[in-house]
Amino acid sequence: MVKNVIPTNSRLLKKISKKLIKLLKKAEIDEEIIFDIHVSLEEALRNAMMHGNKLDIRKKIMVEAELEPSIMKIAVEDEGGGFNPSKLPDPTHSENLLKENGRGIYLMRHLMDEVKFENSGRRVTMTKYLGTKQL
Amino acid sequence: MEISVEEKKGISIFRMTGDIDINTAPELKTSFDEMAKRSGIKVILNLKKVDYVDSSGLATMVEILKKLRDNNGSLKVTNLSAKVKGLFEITKLTQLFDIFNEEDEAVNSFG
Repeated sequence: MVKNVIPTNSRLLKKISKKLIKLLKKAEIDEEIIFDIHVSLEEALRNAMMHGNKLDIRKKIMVEAELEPSIMKIAVEDEGGGFNPSKLPDPTHSENLLKENGRGIYLMRHLMDEVKFENSGRRVTMTKYLGTKQL
Repeated sequence: MEISVEEKKGISIFRMTGDIDINTAPELKTSFDEMAKRSGIKVILNLKKVDYVDSSGLATMVEILKKLRDNNGSLKVTNLSAKVKGLFEITKLTQLFDIFNEEDEAVNSFG
């Protein structure tokens, strides 16, 4: 398991993301699966930094990643006030299509196989099945 | 991200290279700010060399589209990779944007 605690900083978002993507490429995971994980991880980190910690550099983000032969699990937790993930508007409704925000969690839910929120929305755990390829 | 701009048949063609994400989307927005204020602007975004877009990138493209439409302009998007096109499809932004496989098709569609 890879575990990192990082300050709220979008440059570090990319650093963590690159580290995990490198791990997946080394494990010869399918490029399309890596893309899905890449987008979802960065959306989760972005949400944690912007909406969770509200860009407060004193607050931290915890990232856990676990790669097994057929499954990748990633957890991202912030120190913000939490939110209710069941009350998010659907960004694909016609009235929301022209809205600039609201697509991050929607993308995570579509690109990953499981997305679970805990701790009043502060912690998200995402799971992606990697097929039958062995490490 | 690198952005090159070419004027062709009265159309501004933006060709981007790199990721359009939380770190680079503001640069894309800034490059359009002045132009989007003019009336009737025709713009093509060529994403041939863009392998990665996040929700910040999508949001910025929606913002650009809105600004152009507000000023009677129009925007067409071309050369999306399969992965990036997949994001447009999931979010149903395919309903909002005119998307073309090739830049020339988009140029000709302006008539």
